[in-house]
Amino acid sequence: MNNIINRLAGSVSSVAIATSMVGATGLMLAPGSALAQDGPVCTSPVRILAQPRDGLTLLEEYAAEFEELSGALFQIDYMNEGDRRVRSQADASLIGRYNIYYVDEANLAQFASSNWIVPLMPHYPAEYDFDDFDPGRVATATYDDTVWFAPIMGGGDLLVYRTDLMEAAGLEPPETLDELFEVVAALHDPANGIYGIGLRGQRGSGANVWRWMPYFKGMGGEWFVDGEPAMNSDAGVQATKTYLDLFEYSAPGTRTGSWDESTGAFRAGQIALIIESAPLAGITLDSTQSQVADRVGFAKPPAPLTGGGFAHGFAIGERANQSDAERDCAGLWIAWATSREQELRRLEIGQAGELNRQSIFASDLFAETFGEGLPAALTETAEVTQVNFWQHANWPELGNHWGIILEELITGTRDDIPAALAELEAFAANLSD
Amino acid sequence: MNMSRRFGQAFLLLMVFMVLFPLLWTLLNAFKQNVDILTRAPKFIFTPVLDNMIFVLSRQSVLQALVNSLIICLVSVVVGVVLGLPAAYAIARYPNRITDELQFFVLSLRFLPPVAVAIPLMVIWLNLGLYDTRLAMIVTYSLLTISITIWLSVPGFQQVPKEIEEAARVDGCGVYAVFFRIALPVAARTLLGAVAFSFVLIWNEFLIALMLTTSDARTLPIVASEMSQLGMDVPWGILNAAVILLSIPPLLLLGLLSSFMNSVFSRKKK
Amino acid sequence: MFRQKSLPYVFLVPTILILMILAFVPLGYAINLSFRNMTLFRPDSSYVGFENFVNLWSDRRFLNALWVSAKWQVITVTATMLAAVFLGVLMFETLSPRQRNIMCLIFLVPVLLPRVCAAFVWRFAFHPLYGIFTYPYRAITGEPLEILSNPNLALWAVAYVDLWQWGFFFAVIIVKLLEALPHQPIEAARLDHARTWEIHAYITLPMLRAQLVALTLIKAIESLRSFDLIYVMTRGGPGISTETLDMYAFSQGFIEAGRISYASSMAVIMLLLTIIIFTIIWKRVRA
Repeated sequence: MNNIINRLAGSVSSVAIATSMVGATGLMLAPGSALAQDGPVCTSPVRILAQPRDGLTLLEEYAAEFEELSGALFQIDYMNEGDRRVRSQADASLIGRYNIYYVDEANLAQFASSNWIVPLMPHYPAEYDFDDFDPGRVATATYDDTVWFAPIMGGGDLLVYRTDLMEAAGLEPPETLDELFEVVAALHDPANGIYGIGLRGQRGSGANVWRWMPYFKGMGGEWFVDGEPAMNSDAGVQATKTYLDLFEYSAPGTRTGSWDESTGAFRAGQIALIIESAPLAGITLDSTQSQVADRVGFAKPPAPLTGGGFAHGFAIGERANQSDAERDCAGLWIAWATSREQELRRLEIGQAGELNRQSIFASDLFAETFGEGLPAALTETAEVTQVNFWQHANWPELGNHWGIILEELITGTRDDIPAALAELEAFAANLSD
Repeated sequence: MNMSRRFGQAFLLLMVFMVLFPLLWTLLNAFKQNVDILTRAPKFIFTPVLDNMIFVLSRQSVLQALVNSLIICLVSVVVGVVLGLPAAYAIARYPNRITDELQFFVLSLRFLPPVAVAIPLMVIWLNLGLYDTRLAMIVTYSLLTISITIWLSVPGFQQVPKEIEEAARVDGCGVYAVFFRIALPVAARTLLGAVAFSFVLIWNEFLIALMLTTSDARTLPIVASEMSQLGMDVPWGILNAAVILLSIPPLLLLGLLSSFMNSVFSRKKK
Repeated sequence: MFRQKSLPYVFLVPTILILMILAFVPLGYAINLSFRNMTLFRPDSSYVGFENFVNLWSDRRFLNALWVSAKWQVITVTATMLAAVFLGVLMFETLSPRQRNIMCLIFLVPVLLPRVCAAFVWRFAFHPLYGIFTYPYRAITGEPLEILSNPNLALWAVAYVDLWQWGFFFAVIIVKLLEALPHQPIEAARLDHARTWEIHAYITLPMLRAQLVALTLIKAIESLRSFDLIYVMTRGGPGISTETLDMYAFSQGFIEAGRISYASSMAVIMLLLTIIIFTIIWKRVRA
C-alpha cells in the first residue's frame, strides 16, 4: 500500500508522456480526445476486485505503463468466483472500497438495476474501439439498452475431448445425449485413472446450476411461465435426472467441486470429455497449464444442450467513484486492461482464455496459435449458445438456492427430484413478487 | 508391565507423528512446484523452490494484511493488558459476591456466539463509517482481549502470596504501589502467558474479521483463506506457503504458553 | 484511607463498563435487527415483529442446522475428553517427567495453529486424489477416497480436525493435573497391587472430577466456534450436511442473500440457547 503511494507521489507523468508512450506501442490516441487534459487522469491508485485470470496476472507486469498513461498505479484483489460475487455485492451496496468490479452475466441485472455500477460508455475512451468486441459478449454486457461492462472473457459452451482416447476406442465425439452417455460410459476407466466426464457439483448459480441449465433449457424447461414458477416440469425432472446420472462417470472430487476441480482433472489427463465454458479450450491447448495440450479436440455440445452464453468483464463502481473524474479514471483502466494491445500480448504468449475482440479472432496469429479445429468449433457452438438463466436482479438468490438443493441431490443427501423442484418453485414464488 | 509400557510409549510416539507429520508435510509442500504436489504417490525427494514463499511475501495484499494483523493484534492486546490486568487483580484480591458475579460475567462473554456479535457490529460500524478500518477491528477485538486477559490472569494474582504484599504494606507501600511493584512482578510469568494466549487468540481469529473487513483492514487469516479458495488451477504450493507463514507467530510463543500452563497447574503441588 | 478503598473501584469499574458497552450494544442491536426485515442490499427496512422467528421454525435448513450443531457439540466434546483422558493417563504412566515435558510441548502445537491453517492442512490431506491422508487407501485399492464430499463422512472429518487441535491440548492439561495430585493415595494403591487402570478409574480421575467437569464445559464453549473449520473445509456442504448454526447464519447474511435480519434472528436464538444452557450448567457445577 505504502509502496503504491510512494511511487504515486514520485510519479510526475503527464498525458503528454503517456501519449508518446502509447503511440510508440502501437495504440492510436486521438489528439484532442476527452482525456487529453492537463494533468493525470487518475489521482489515486485504482482498486479492482476481480477473479484470478492469467490475462490479469500478465496485466500486472505492465503496471508502469498504466501509470504513465493515467498517473496512478492499480491494485487488483483476487477472489474465487463465489467469493468475488459475495464480496463485490457487499462492497458495491454498502462500502465502496473498489473502483472497479468484476461483473458477470449472472449479477449484471442486480448490479445495474441497483445502481451499484454506472454506464460504461460515457467514461470509455473512444480510441480503444469498443465496437471491436465480439457482439455476443457486448450483448451480454448490455442490460436495459445500456452497456455496463467491457468483457475480459466470455463465450458459450464447448465439448472438449481427448482425441487419443476417442481414437483408441474407435468412437466419434457425441452429437446427441444418447451418444454422450454411450461415449462417456465407454471411455470411463477408473482403474486406469480415466473418468468419463467432469461435471460441477459445487453449489452456486454460476457453478453446479450453470452446468445443469443447458440440460434444463435444452429439454424445454422454463424458469417462469406467465409469471409463475415452472421449474417443476417434465423438463426440470428429466434434466435433473440426466445430470445426476452423468455423475456416475464424473471424476472424484467433482461432486463438491467446481470449475477448478473438473477442468483441473481434465488438464491433468484424468477426464475423457468435458462440456465446459469456451475459454477452457484455449487453456487446454496451453502446454504450461495442460498435460494433454497435444491430445484435445473440440466440438459443439451434444444436442439438445444449449450452450450457456456468458461474459465476464469490468464495470465502474458507483460508490467509490463519486465524481466524473474518478469515473473517467476507472473507465480508462477498463479500456486499457481490455484493449486490443493487451489481448495481443495474451495471444502472443498463448493465453487463449481472455480474448474477446473480433480483430483478434480474425488475425493470422490466432489461426496460427490455435489451428483450425477450435475456431470452427467456436463458430458452430455460437449457434446453440443462448441465455439459460433467469434474467432478473433476483437471479443470484434463486440460482444459489437451487445450487444448495442440487448439491444435496448430487451428494445423495436427498433423492426426490420432483419434491426438490417443488421446493425451488415455492422459493421462487416468494422471490418474483 | 514393561511390555505394556513399551506399547504405550510406541502409541504416544505415533501420536507425536500424527501431530507433526501433517505440519512437516505442509512445510515440504510449501517448497514444491505444483507438479511435485499433484502426484499420485507422495513425493519426498524433489527440487525445492522458493517461488511460493516469494510469491506470497511479494503480494501487496499479504504485506498489507501482515501489517494490519500486527497493528490490530498488538494494540488490542495492549488494551487488554491495561484494562484487564488491574481488573483481574481486583477480582483476585477482593473475593466477595460482587467480584464473583463480575468474574462470571467476564467468563460468560465467551459464551456469546461470534455471529451474534459480528452481524450487529457490521451494521454499527457501517453506520458510523468505520467499517473495514483497523480502529473498528481493535475496538471489537478489545472485547475479546480484555475478557481473556482477566479470565486467565486471576489465577496468577491469586498465587501471589498475601504475606509478601502485607510485608510491603508494612513498609509503607500504598495499595497501588503494591499492585505495580509487588503483584505484577511476582505474577509476571503467569501473566505473560495469559497475554500470550490472548495474542494467539486474536491472531487466529477468523469469523469476526471475515464479517468486519473487506479490503483495507483484512487480517492475515482472511487473506490466507482467500488464497486457499482462489481456484483457477489451485496454486497448492502457494497455499502451503501461506499456511506456514501464518502459523509462525503463534508457534514462536509456544515456550511462553507452555510455561504458563506449568505455573497455573503446578500450584496444587504446594 | 480513601486510597486504600478506592482500588477495586478504580480497577474494576472502567473495565467492566467498557466490557458491558462492547457486549451489550451489539447484542441489543442484534435483537433489534432480528425484529426487522433488513437486507444488506436494500436500504429500507421496517419492523416485522416475530416474523423471522416464525419463519425459522418452518425452515428446514435452520432445523437441520440445529441438529448439525447439536451433533457437532456432542461429537467434539466427547471425543476430545475421551482422547485427552486416555492420552494424559498414558503419558503419566509411561513417560519420564523429562519425556513428558517434551511431549507436552509438541502436543501444544496443533491448538496454537490458526484454525484456518489447521483446516487447510487437513483439507489438502483429505484430497481424494493427492491427499496424504487418503494415500494409503489409494495405494491399496487403487480407488480415490472421497471424504469431504461424502455427506456421511464430512462432519466426522471436520470433527477429527477439531479433535486434532483440542484433544492433544487437553491431554497436556490432564497430565499437568495428574502431576499436581498428591502421591500418597496412588502409592498406597500400588502397594495393594491395584492395576494401573484401576488406580486411575477409582482414585485419580475421581479426585480430578471438578477439573474434568470444568474442562468439559470449556470445550463445549470452544466447540461453539466451529465456523473457521467448516468454512474452510466444507462451507457447510456437501449439501447441508455440515451446516451448523453459525455457518447457516453467515450463509443467509452474506453468501446467498443479504438477509441480515433473518441471520440476526438465528444469532439471537443461538445466543439465548447458549447463555441459558451454559449459565445453568456453570452455576450448578460451581454450587
